[in-house]
Amino acid sequence: MTRWAMVADLRRCVGCQTCTAACKHTNATPPEVQWRRVLDMEVGEYPEVKRVFVPVGCQHCADPPCMHVCPTTATRKRDDGVVTIDYDLCIGCDYCAVACPYQARYRVKAPTYAYGAPIASEAKQHDSRRVGVSTKCTFCADRVDAGLAAGRKPGVDPEATPACVNSCIAQALHFGDAADPASNVSQLLAENQFFRMHEELGTEPNFYYLWDRK
Amino acid sequence: MKLKTYCYQCVAGPDLLEVEVKDGVATEVTPNFDAAGIHPGGGRVCVKAYGLVQKLYNPNRVRSPMKRTNPRKGRDEDPGFVPISWDEAFDLIAGKLNSIRSKGLLDESGYPRVAASFGGGGTPQSYMGTFPAFLGAWGPVDMGFGSGQGVKCTHSEHLYGEFWHRAFTVSPDTPLAEYVISCGANTEASGGVVGVWRHAQARIRGLKRVQVEPHLSITGACSAQWVPIKPKTDAAFLYALIHVMLFEHPRERLDLKFLQDHTSSPYLVGPNGFFLRDPETKEPLISDTLEASCVRDAVEIGPDEEILSRGQLQGETAFAKLLAHMKPYTPEWAQGVCDVSAAAIRRIAKEYLDHAHIGETIQIDGKTLPFRPVAVALGKTVNNGWGGFECCWARTMLAALVGALEVPGGTLGTTVRLNRPLSERHASVRPGPDGFMAYPLNPTDKAHWSAAPNIRNAYRTLVPLAADGPWSQALGPTHFSWMFLGETPPGLPRVTYPELWFVYRTNPAISFWDTRQVAERMAQFPFVVALAYTRDETNHFADVLLPDQMDLESLQLIYVGGSKYIEQFWKHEGYALRQPVVKPAVDARDFTDIATELAKRTGLLERYNASINRGTAGVPLKGETWDFSLDTSKAHSRDEIWNAVCQAASAELTGGKETQGLEWWKAHGLRVKPFPQSDWYLFPTLAAQGLRFELPYQERLWRVGRELERRLHEHDMRWWDFQLAEYQPLPAYKDFPAIWEGQLRSAGGSPQDYPFWLLTSRSMQYAWGGNVAMQLIREVAENVAGHGGVIINAKRATELGIAEGDAVEIATPKARVRARAVLRQGIRPDTLLLIAQFDHWATPYAKDFGVPSLNRLAPMSLQLTDATGSGADVVRVSLKRAA
Amino acid sequence: MSSHFGPNPWIQQHWDWRASGNFVFGGAGSGLLLAAALALPLGPARGVSMALGLLLVALGLFSVLMKIGKPLRALHVFYNPRTSWMAREAWVAPPLFATAVYAFLRPSTQAEILFGAAALAYAWCQARILHAAKGIPAWREPRLIPFIVATALTEGASVAALVALAYGTPSRLVYGLVAAALLARAGAWFSYSVKIAPVLAGRARDALQAVTPVLLWFGTFGALALIAAASALPRAYAWPLVAAAAAAAVGTGWRAKHVLVTRAALNQGFSLPKVPVRGAR
Repeated sequence: MTRWAMVADLRRCVGCQTCTAACKHTNATPPEVQWRRVLDMEVGEYPEVKRVFVPVGCQHCADPPCMHVCPTTATRKRDDGVVTIDYDLCIGCDYCAVACPYQARYRVKAPTYAYGAPIASEAKQHDSRRVGVSTKCTFCADRVDAGLAAGRKPGVDPEATPACVNSCIAQALHFGDAADPASNVSQLLAENQFFRMHEELGTEPNFYYLWDRK
Repeated sequence: MKLKTYCYQCVAGPDLLEVEVKDGVATEVTPNFDAAGIHPGGGRVCVKAYGLVQKLYNPNRVRSPMKRTNPRKGRDEDPGFVPISWDEAFDLIAGKLNSIRSKGLLDESGYPRVAASFGGGGTPQSYMGTFPAFLGAWGPVDMGFGSGQGVKCTHSEHLYGEFWHRAFTVSPDTPLAEYVISCGANTEASGGVVGVWRHAQARIRGLKRVQVEPHLSITGACSAQWVPIKPKTDAAFLYALIHVMLFEHPRERLDLKFLQDHTSSPYLVGPNGFFLRDPETKEPLISDTLEASCVRDAVEIGPDEEILSRGQLQGETAFAKLLAHMKPYTPEWAQGVCDVSAAAIRRIAKEYLDHAHIGETIQIDGKTLPFRPVAVALGKTVNNGWGGFECCWARTMLAALVGALEVPGGTLGTTVRLNRPLSERHASVRPGPDGFMAYPLNPTDKAHWSAAPNIRNAYRTLVPLAADGPWSQALGPTHFSWMFLGETPPGLPRVTYPELWFVYRTNPAISFWDTRQVAERMAQFPFVVALAYTRDETNHFADVLLPDQMDLESLQLIYVGGSKYIEQFWKHEGYALRQPVVKPAVDARDFTDIATELAKRTGLLERYNASINRGTAGVPLKGETWDFSLDTSKAHSRDEIWNAVCQAASAELTGGKETQGLEWWKAHGLRVKPFPQSDWYLFPTLAAQGLRFELPYQERLWRVGRELERRLHEHDMRWWDFQLAEYQPLPAYKDFPAIWEGQLRSAGGSPQDYPFWLLTSRSMQYAWGGNVAMQLIREVAENVAGHGGVIINAKRATELGIAEGDAVEIATPKARVRARAVLRQGIRPDTLLLIAQFDHWATPYAKDFGVPSLNRLAPMSLQLTDATGSGADVVRVSLKRAA
Repeated sequence: MSSHFGPNPWIQQHWDWRASGNFVFGGAGSGLLLAAALALPLGPARGVSMALGLLLVALGLFSVLMKIGKPLRALHVFYNPRTSWMAREAWVAPPLFATAVYAFLRPSTQAEILFGAAALAYAWCQARILHAAKGIPAWREPRLIPFIVATALTEGASVAALVALAYGTPSRLVYGLVAAALLARAGAWFSYSVKIAPVLAGRARDALQAVTPVLLWFGTFGALALIAAASALPRAYAWPLVAAAAAAAVGTGWRAKHVLVTRAALNQGFSLPKVPVRGAR
């Protein structure tokens, strides 16, 4: 069984937000909605301080609290681990947003555009189904599915890989099948030490952070 | 549909991308994965390129040519721009140009009547089509009105870097380096895709980078260690490293063979500080050992060919001189100066030596080359302004001491801009005097030095190292162009306003220093032609606004590959095409068509076309077996011109076998041929010619400085004396922070009242400007700390009663700005940081940011100008909670 | 840098006063229904209390309806009772209304038990809604559950006492219920706040801690004293005291819930168990 997973190598990430921007392009998210973004964190106190850049977004948890709380079944989990939202079912109650320990969910109440009125690219890509409902990172599931259908390998072939991974200029973001021991992400997880965010909450994220080699 | 193009919006490019176009609308930027194996950053583009779609459709664009209707110019004057036709715009400009031409190209002071300013370290040239051919056809143009170049670039590195190792910019050989000492080089923010890509790979490989800087930058964050250092004292730190290597480790830890055979270390220096020379041949006398003192039959020649002494002269090797010179710079001394512990300095010096692999070699392209995987990188504010020379010298010395200069793993130059040919760094290595490389110094001898500069910033008169090539104007003291408009110092012809000023992709009213003064000067310019994307602070003073087609609308072929700025080391070279992906969103014209029309209307068409034929558009149109030259008598369309250029490029890359034109390039976007990695390293080329690196002893510069001093004094020009002190054979450490404190005092402040060092730092999202009007860029940049205000050490702020988000006032005795407090741990308590350069007041969208800029506070000052004509982004300021 | 984007926890921006309105009104309404079932005899006081209780529950639901992004799809809320306490709350609401109306029309012990149980279930669902929100440490704390139920009952019982008094049917039972609920609520709050305060920081902790003295002094001891005095006094003198006690009990309960939902609701933020190794150590 496939289990799609994201691996972020914190040793590589420079916090440049190229993935943030690429995600916004590919998914045509409105201003201030960032399905993928990178945190700029400080750990410690001057002069013993470390600055760390941490890509975040939906962790596609194996046990997603957002799904459990959703009153409408709009949020579901696919067999391949991708947590999805059915925009036609969602009532926009935001319960999932407060249940998510990763602050990954967004909801805009009305259409918003970069400069007030929609510019040509925004008008072209506008999707009214996304207004008033909960949205979040989809692991670019449509790209993954289309890529698979075309015989491509997600995480390896750009056509089948999430936009953030494709765009990363530090090769910090990786995507692949964590259930396949031969996959790129399985190799990275085998060779390196990693953690998952808020592991103590038992959400079992499919998003791994590398921090050192083994 | 996906269309291939390039992004060269910052000097760390170019990078390659594709644009998704749906029903004639550009929707998405993606990497060009077809180029993944060619482009050294995997075919990716950085965050800036993702702003291009909004840049294209930005509703705030200048939508047609405009002319000014309010003759009064000033920040508070509404220019009253009204739309005009392209024909009327060309009439206005050509009328002005033709009237200038009839009067003469130079004015009564001898300065060009036409001036032009471009920003971005030469990157606008990748967007201005054939405009350089028009300027070439025109004749003398003053390109020395700075918008940042000269004072905000890595200036000392440019000049001394090219002098010592053909290094307009300097880079570690990142893919092979094991240990890098980086004094403020913010590669992860300013090194572009390739810099980020290479360093990320290197980190995983185990490269240890020690980042030495007053605030924890992006690069500091991504380094193994952060060493907080007092601003502008990096030279003390570097000197102490040299001291430790010279005096606290066995001599054998250094690459003695390299020093003996490939540097000036064994040259004998006479009693007056000049080389001892053979009385007959005048060649320098060289010792067989590094540390020698001896008596030789010799002659010592000083400035202006003066024989200073002759006969049996006592000489000491340059290396022995170096030892004596560096003796006082102990780690304990440095600790007191730069606030880095002596223990840390000793540890870093030891680690550097431990990783130097003295004696080892590596095979590259079948050649056996020395392997020295240690490097030193310097960042902006470290390698420009006072102290820049000393830091650059120390850095290059640190490389030379272990033979890590221009060899695999070591400290490398990237490209040349002052030496020629510009396109081929290795070909610029030619024998010069005394066994060193030739360098096109501006003359300082009596016969050739001139007190009448060719342009207003007087680079040829004041800065011998700036050379006199196409880039030299921008590498002089470019703030002098602005300053001297107010008062020209004695000895120089009165500095005049240019009668016509072209401005393209630059905004000096924001990006220079003392931006209020710059804007006031601009308001006096009689006729300004601004190629305008949106209204901005500089074109606020324009007479005509011309909207040129932006990045995704216009067409140009550029050279890519080889070794370029920053970290762009390719294993290929060739050309890439920028092409229109959609129809223009406004009534804009391609810059090539604008240039052709100007040439036509000024009667310069023949010369313009001839210039293109010679190669001004990037490729000579005539080769050994091909000729795509344009008919010089007629005006050609954009596509005709670039089709010819594309055909010539195809022919050049295939030795004349293939000649595909524009359509082929539009489909493929890129064509390259191999560029050997061994060409990243200059050492073999010097060695093959028997040339030495001109280190450690700067006899030539010492002589040049003395000659320059004489020339200036002969013309009663004594206002440059402070700068002349920089010309030293072995640079002594000076109290650099005191220079800024002195400036503060002369402005009426005391260091106690202005206790903070205000610095700036690069933002990848905003680097090189040009995209402040993009909402997307603003949105994502806000995820990076500091984009919303001034970064203050959290503890220090708390002591001052300042909380996160509080409004604070940052002031000098002359100016004050307001900012929001951003409290962080990663900054020294005596340092403040304002990222990038905002403070916009006219640019739509950006004018609402409410984020100030160091540029408003930084003075333009002779006192703060070093001998290369540069300054540094450092200001002493006060900080308090705003009322 | 926008402080809304962490990485330190920030106060959730998703649920505002309209969302808290469901807990404020719905809690009080279900509590009032429960109190009516437990402590009010058949009669106008119980009738009025039940009507008022249903009105409050409806007000709470209306408040949520005003908040959601797609109010026309509100009925989708019934789709996931399998795992969602919000869906379960929705499922309990119709039976609550139905049983209450049924009990009003056809009073019986069974009917009392039915609508009392539905009311308790409604309050329970509300408590579990908060508990299931894993992203908010102050909500997911299990000790919040007894407090939410207890404050619902407290608010309801104190209003029930007032209504009873208004119709001349005060009883030891209803006063006793108020007193017991007040004490239970105070205990639940104390237990909860002691546990959760150290988890919070900054303004969220300040807001939470500001609840305690008011809830204890006014909302508990003050209300208890007033109820005690009222129970010993004739009706004419008692009713202002009971009214004051009810106001104190309800007001502090509502304030506590509003603060919990909107002002003490720090999210999880982000934290790193390990710092990445950049190059060599």
